[in-house]
Parts: sequence; C-alpha cells; structure tokens
Amino acid sequence: MQVKKTNYTVNATPTFEVLTEEEIEAIYFSALRVLYETGVRVYEEEGVEIAHSGGAIVEDTTDDSSLVKIPPWMVDKALATLPRKVVVVGPDREHRMELYKNQIYFGAGSDTPFTWDPYTGERRRATYEDVKNFAKIAQAMPNMDFHMSLGIVQDVNVGTYDRWQYLAMLEGTTKPINITAVDLDGLQDQLEMAYVRVGGKEEFEKGPIFSLYIEPVSPLSHSEEVIQKLLFATDNGIPFVYTPCPLAGATAPCTLAGTAVQALTESLFGIVLSQLRKPGAPMIIGGLMSNMDMRTTVYCYGSPEMALLSAAYTQITKWLGVPMYETAGCSDAKMFDEQAVLEATFNATTAALTGGNMIHDVGYLEQGLTSSMEMMVATNEIVDRVKRILRGIPVTDETKALDVIEDVGPGGHYLEHDHTYTRFKDLIWQGPLTDRQNWENWDLAGRKTFRDRVHARVLEILETETEPLIDEDMYKELRQICELADERHKGEELDFDMFV
Amino acid sequence: MSDTLERLATAVVEGNVDSMEELAQEALDEGLSAQEILNDGLMGGMNHVGKEFKAGNMFVPEVLRSAKAMKEAMKLLEPMLAAGEAQATGKILLGTVKGDLHDIGKNLVGMMCEGAGFDVRDLGTDVEPDQFLSAIKEFEPDIVGMSALLTTTMRAMGDTIKAIEEAGLRDQVKVMIGGAPVTQRFADDIGADGYAANAASASDLAKEFVGAA
Ligand code: B12
Repeated sequence: MQVKKTNYTVNATPTFEVLTEEEIEAIYFSALRVLYETGVRVYEEEGVEIAHSGGAIVEDTTDDSSLVKIPPWMVDKALATLPRKVVVVGPDREHRMELYKNQIYFGAGSDTPFTWDPYTGERRRATYEDVKNFAKIAQAMPNMDFHMSLGIVQDVNVGTYDRWQYLAMLEGTTKPINITAVDLDGLQDQLEMAYVRVGGKEEFEKGPIFSLYIEPVSPLSHSEEVIQKLLFATDNGIPFVYTPCPLAGATAPCTLAGTAVQALTESLFGIVLSQLRKPGAPMIIGGLMSNMDMRTTVYCYGSPEMALLSAAYTQITKWLGVPMYETAGCSDAKMFDEQAVLEATFNATTAALTGGNMIHDVGYLEQGLTSSMEMMVATNEIVDRVKRILRGIPVTDETKALDVIEDVGPGGHYLEHDHTYTRFKDLIWQGPLTDRQNWENWDLAGRKTFRDRVHARVLEILETETEPLIDEDMYKELRQICELADERHKGEELDFDMFV
Repeated sequence: MSDTLERLATAVVEGNVDSMEELAQEALDEGLSAQEILNDGLMGGMNHVGKEFKAGNMFVPEVLRSAKAMKEAMKLLEPMLAAGEAQATGKILLGTVKGDLHDIGKNLVGMMCEGAGFDVRDLGTDVEPDQFLSAIKEFEPDIVGMSALLTTTMRAMGDTIKAIEEAGLRDQVKVMIGGAPVTQRFADDIGADGYAANAASASDLAKEFVGAA
C-alpha cells in the first residue's frame, strides 16, 4: 500500500504566468543597464541633487533638466529598504488593502473627462455629483476594494478639481482612495482633508487613508511636478503609485519585452529617489502599459497586449518584492456594450490570475476618456466569477468525497446528501446579475438582457437612501479647504457649457 | 505617367527609403523636371498613402515610412526646384500648451503634416503663450496647432489665442487645436479656426486652411 500522502494543498490557486524566471531576470538586468548607460532625464533640481549625492552620475545639464545615470548598486541599496508590503486603509479602518505578493484588490480608474449619464443615457462632461455617485456605487460593490475619481469634476474652478473630487469620494465611500493631484498645492490640500477626515496627522500616519497616483513621462523622463509629488509623498508618509504609461510602438519599443524594460527603468528611478529621500518610504509600481492602435493612434485600454504586459510586469514586481499597480476592468468600447464586457472580462481575469495587487481602472470606457457605472457594476460580477476560479479545485480526501460516492453508489443522487447541503453555497457560484433561467421564465420576466439588469442595479444603488458617511461639521470643514483653494484660483472658472 | 514616375510613386507607398534617391536621379536623367517628379511621382504616392490609411489598409508606421521616403527624394530635388516651386504646402507651428506634457499625439500631428508637405516647427510641450508669440513672429507660420490633453490645460489654448490676438497676429495665422478631451464645440467657443480629432484629419484640415485640399 502506498503510504506517501499529500497532506497539504499545493498550488490551490490557478495562476497565469507569461515569463519564466530567467526572462524576468533578463528584463530586470536590462533595466539596470538602461538606467546606468542611457539614463533618465530629470526636470527637477532637487531630485537631481538627491540622486547625485546618492551616487548617481549627472550629465548634460540644461536650463531645465539633467540626464541622470544610476549605477546598479544604488538600485540594490534602494530595494533593500523598500517595503515589500504596503497598507492603505479606509477612514473607517475596516476596509483595508494589504498590498503584497498575491493579494488582489480591484478598484476604479480616475479623471475621465466624460461620463455616461445613467438616466439620460448620454455621454457628457463629468460633475461633482457624478463623482459622488460613482463612490456610492463602489461602496455598494463587494469586489471593489479601493476607489478613484471616476470623472474630472468640471463644474468647479479648473485648478481645484482634485480637492472637490476627494470630497465627493469621501461623501460616497469609506474604502481606501487613490487620489490624483493637479499639483503640489492640490496634494497638500488633500492631505489636510485626510487629516480632518481621520482625526489628525498621527492617525493618518498610523494608517494612510489614501495613496497618491504619480506618473513619470515615458520615455525615460521625470517631470518637475512628478518629482515634487514624489518627494512630498515620501516626506509625509503617503504611499504612492509610480506608474509610467508607455505606449508600445510610440513612447516605448513595439516589442513588449522592450516596453517592460523601459517601464521598469522608469519605475526603478522612482524607487531609488524615494529610498534616498527616506529609506522605508512605501511605494507601489506599475502598471498602465499598453500599445498604440496603429490605425486610430489611440492608447488601447482593452487590447490583449495590455493584459500581457500587465501580467509580465506583475511577475516582475513579485520577483522584486514591490507591490504592483495593475490595470483591468477597462475597455476601448465607446459605450457599455459587448466589447466592453468582453475586454473587461479578459483583462480582469488575467490580472487576477497573475495576482497584481492594486488593480485599477474599473469603470473606464473609451480609453479612459469616459466612465460608466454599468461598467463598474458589471466588472464587480466579473471579478466575483474570477475569484471563484481563483479558489480552484482543492484536492483532498475530504473533497475527493470517496465516502460520499460510496454512500450514494451507482444510480443514486447527491441532491439530498448532507455533503451537498453543507457545501453547495460555497462551491457553486451564483451571481446576482447573471441569468440562468429557462426560456419561459426569462420570457415572462420581460426578456431582460445582462445590460438591462446591470442598468437596473445601477439605478437601484443610486436611489437607495444611505446614511451620510461624514457628519455636517466635518463636511463643512472639508468643504472649506476646497473653497479656500477656489479663492486662490479665482477667475479660472470654466464655462461648463463651453465643454459640452 | 512615365514608368519611372510610377515606380517612384510605388516606392513612396512601399516606403523604400533606400531606393528613393536613385529613382529620383533616374527620373531626372530621363529629362523629367523636379517639379514633375514631385507632383506626379512623390505626391501621387503620398496621396495614395493617405487614402489607404483612411480606408484602414495602411498603418501609422507605414505612413511615416512613406513620408520619410518622400523626404529622401526631396533631398535631391529641393535645390533644383525654382524658388516658388520649392515652397512647402505651408508652414505649421506646433506645440502642447502650457502645463501639459502629453506629446505623442502632437508629434503624430506634426509627422502627418510633414508627410503632406508642410514645413513643421515643433515647440515641444509646456509651451507658454509668449513662446508661441515669438515663434509666430520669427517662423511666420500659416497655421498654429495647439495640443492639450487635460481639462486644466485646455484653457491655456484660449489664453494663447487671446495672446495672439492682443499681439495683433491673429489675422496672419489659422489656429487649429486638438487632444483627447477637446471638442469642436470647445474650439468654436475659444475662437479657434478648426479642430481635428486625429492626426490624419489634422493634416486634411491644415491643407484646407492653405487651400491645398
Ligand atoms: C499616455 C498618457 C499620459 C502620459 C503622457 C506621456 C507622453 N509622452 O505623452 C503621462 C504619464 C505623462 C501622462 C500624465 C498625466 N496625465 Co495623461 N494620459 C495618457 C493617456 C493614457 C494616453 C494619451 C496618448 O498618448 N494618446 C495617444 C495619442 C496619439 O492620442 P492623442 O494625444 O489624443 O492625440 C491624437 C488626437 O487627440 C489629435 N491631436 C492631438 N493633439 C493635437 C493637436 C492638434 C493641433 C490637432 C489638430 C489634433 C491633435 O491627434 C492625435 C493623433 O491622432 C490619456 C488617456 C487617453 N485615452 O487619452 C491620459 C490622460 C490624457 N491623462 C490624464 C491625466 C489626468 C494626466 C495627469 C494629470 C495625471 C496626474 N494626475 O498626474 C498627468 C498630467 C501630466 C501633465 N502635466 O501633462 C487624463 C486627462 C483628463 C483631463 N481631461 O483632464 C487622461 C484622459 C487619462 C485619465 N482618464 O486619467 N498621461
């Protein structure tokens, strides 16, 4: 008799890998070479100075920038102090992201100029109310773990939309938020708001309630605003996402390996700079990588190349031990249609199966130019399905159920068995928006399509009364910060109609 | 059309950068004028490229390669063209406006317009109204093209148009604008002369502005 017994679970989670370890190493060591031999252009003096005193070679200084070359040992040193795990929490301290290894969290994208109005069915410029409503949707979606502003607030002064977006999100959700900032001033104001929301600086430092979105400029450039934000975030204990947005074939090599090398070079510079400024500063690298569509010139948000690149980069970040900012739940479709769902299914599945940590851009249509509540609600269900797949098929004596098979025997059935009764709910996936009725019942129920059901769910959430998440006084205090910013940006009001 | 002109047009379409100079020389040796070679050979090829691109049969890198092929032949022909004939379709001044760093869309517009025979001066990104002004004075473009991808920087396009007006230069140039969040309506409201949603229509618009469409 065989005594060797598998008494532990091996690879219970299905995984998707596109690179071998050798390939990951080849990409990493190539990035080190680019960082040292080609260098990156830095458009901010302090950043150049910090890199220089940390050991970087500075060349070709012009009136606005320098070429900075980082030797590999500086990267090793930075990686040694870079936290392998980053935590961002919600203001209620209940919602929480522990970003490391295979922990997956899904959430929205940010800053779309347009949105689909769920009532009029029209695509129009986004407003404060929209951003608040999107946050409300995210709050109601169990598979949305963090949030971003699904719309640029355009019914306020131009240079202050970031504070208003943050306020609108705080009104709608208690999940961790990934903010964007117009500039350093906007970042400072939002930090002030977070202090108000959470009860002071110390509380924020114990558990930051937002992370900051920063993007270096591909190819291989780090702008003034980007470096300023990086330094400010580092100084103030704000975890930040440092994600380049290279376009394979346009702002990065057409070969996806080349795009990965370049993107990694760009991220590594951020890692080095942040760790020189403050060893232990938390950051997340990523994750918005795709190709240019060579017919239309658009930045593709639903291409297979985007999914592939994200998967590859996720593997690289895991190998490096840095939390990953992934991209999924988004599409190039203009409206919430079959292509939208197809692309979101595809990229959300790949992202989850590779185990990217902070998976953003749920709700994006039209290459990130339009947001859709339907898209978010549908993606929530897609993610739910993927999570079922992630739970895999554990194979143990208990799950092989030999005793139950023996018990039922040939010709019996399992419907009444205890084994079924105690387990089916966990094991057989049900989605609230997925239709599995037979023809007659579907017909009787009004022949509702997936699109109809998703839309109805959106309206249901919007129309459900909820308790305010912040009290009157706190709201006033937060609002005042936004209004003071507006004062400083007087005369920059946009004529909203001008934008239609 | 002569066989050589046809081969030149085909070489442009196929983007045979390396054979252009030789083919152009052949055409000259056959007694064709530089003007004929340009109009009937090279431009014929580029027009075909434009049509194929719009029909979705050619792709951006191919179009850019064709434009490069044409430039290659022009190196040889340019000195031979009479002053008037050598003139480009027109001059375009381009830039991404103040506060905005998105550049690849603007670059594409520049390359497509060059492909259509325009002389393009690109001021880069984060371009202040003043920089546009001094470049207008110095370069004397027919068209000023501005790119913005941010709601915060779209207004800088309006500011730049105002600055051009105030400097008394508005009559000298046509202004076209673009960038993902920009719309025709916005262009109308800030008093731009035109808007285009992508690089190919930008070059069509530019041609229209100089009466070369
Ligand atoms: C790549 C990218 C970046 C890169 C740019 C790198 C580079 N080298 O250009 C980086 C990472 C730097 C970046 C930064 C930011 N970005 Co950005 N970016 C994009 C993205 C994903 C793609 C843009 C792109 O390259 N498209 C491909 C090109 C070819 O298309 P295009 O630019 O639209 O150009 C075509 C047409 O518009 C037209 N056109 C363009 N210019 C002109 C000019 C004329 C005269 C004419 C006629 C036509 C024309 O022809 C072009 C070719 O066909 C867009 C999303 C999107 N779908 O647009 C966001 C997007 C534009 N970015 C956005 C934001 C918010 C930002 C940041 C503010 C983020 C932040 N908070 O830090 C920063 C701002 C930095 C700055 N100061 O400029 C928002 C803008 C929202 C808004 N309306 O305000 C977008 C829409 C994404 C989003 N939803 O968040 N970004």
